[in-house]
Amino acid sequence: MTTALVSKRHVVADISLAMELCYERGWTDGLPVVPPTEPAVRAMLAAAELEPDHQIAFITNRQVAVTAEKVAINAVMAGCLPEYMPIVVSAVEGIAEPVWGYHGPATSTGGAAVFMIINGPIGPRLGFNCEDNLFGPGWRANATVGRAVRLVMRNVIGTLPGLLDRGTIGNPGKYTYVIAENEAESPWTPLHVERGFAAGESTVTVMSAEGPRQFYNQLSSTPEGILKTLCDDMRHHNSTGGQPQYVVVLAGEHMRTIAAGGWSKSDIRKYVFDNTQVSIAHFKRTERLPGSVTPQDETTYKSLLAEPEDVLVVAAGGRAGAFSCYIPGWAGGRRSSRSVTKLIRERRA
Amino acid sequence: MAPIEILDPTVEPRRQPLTFVARPDSLKGKRVGLVENTKFNSDRLLHRIGEILINDYGAAECRMWRKHNASVPAHAEILEEAKRTVDVVVAGIGD
Repeated sequence: MTTALVSKRHVVADISLAMELCYERGWTDGLPVVPPTEPAVRAMLAAAELEPDHQIAFITNRQVAVTAEKVAINAVMAGCLPEYMPIVVSAVEGIAEPVWGYHGPATSTGGAAVFMIINGPIGPRLGFNCEDNLFGPGWRANATVGRAVRLVMRNVIGTLPGLLDRGTIGNPGKYTYVIAENEAESPWTPLHVERGFAAGESTVTVMSAEGPRQFYNQLSSTPEGILKTLCDDMRHHNSTGGQPQYVVVLAGEHMRTIAAGGWSKSDIRKYVFDNTQVSIAHFKRTERLPGSVTPQDETTYKSLLAEPEDVLVVAAGGRAGAFSCYIPGWAGGRRSSRSVTKLIRERRA
Repeated sequence: MAPIEILDPTVEPRRQPLTFVARPDSLKGKRVGLVENTKFNSDRLLHRIGEILINDYGAAECRMWRKHNASVPAHAEILEEAKRTVDVVVAGIGD
């Protein structure tokens, strides 16, 4: 027997009125949504082999149970294909993990988005972009998976901009913010393998994050040269005294140069950790710490990161161009939100 | 064109009773806990409030805890100690 869907139903005359109803009810992110009909929602649930009443997450501070039915409805609205549903489910599980700390990044004036990194065979198989125009539009998987998670946050958990989402300037990544690692061309160990998963498994890593900061270095042909530029930019970023974690995304040219120098991801992390320290004097001169500068402040340094492992290194982006980027986490401190990597379960049986 | 039926993506708010501890009639002789949220000057603000509660309202004593950071609820150790050692709590945002 098929388990009934319990969501309230709304009947309208045609598809355009259905889309308008979604606007009127405040169910969209500002873009039109696909009307969630029962057959479309059923297909989404079937693809993840989930019963509609299956609880995917419980958001403690909101006292909200997120069921598979509600995730499926929002995934349909976002424009997901049914085969994306297991990824959306794993991402929602991730942001409900206590270490991700939903309440902080979802509500904070700091304006974090949910940044997602796809690893494993599911990335190329479902067409996730990991190359040119990495954060740009044009790929259904990247565009709709992130959008589905944001619609779940909005419609199920109640994270409404201006009410419970109080981001001061917000973040365009709140529409969608999904990349895949370019494992096919990367010389390095993929992120999910570094985090204990098998290379043949697929995962989604969720991190509360600010927008990407692009940096440019077309001059250097050494790992140190490129990373020196990166670290200079990251030192400037110390706007809140440092974030709990950073992602460094290295695109084709930089990736090849750094790898040709024989550097591993671990070498990159250590270099970034060692070269992003900022003097207390600088914090004071730039009005980020109170008080006047003492001679001791000139030689007392604050680390940007607590440890090298707080840098997640990802190989992705276009083959051409001397650009890469780093992505700061959310300004809540180490104890408030940590990135989480979840297995994507395409077959549950 | 045939009518179309769509499913509601939202959840009904779960109604649950919340029981608040009765506010004390007076702070005289009460032990006051102050929960500081880590932002600049929040400790100074709460210290001043604590002084006023002792000097003007007769509170017996004040003690302060510091949260891990401003964006998270008070952690378990604070709640446990507060239950054991104070009668009322003031939580404030210095921002």
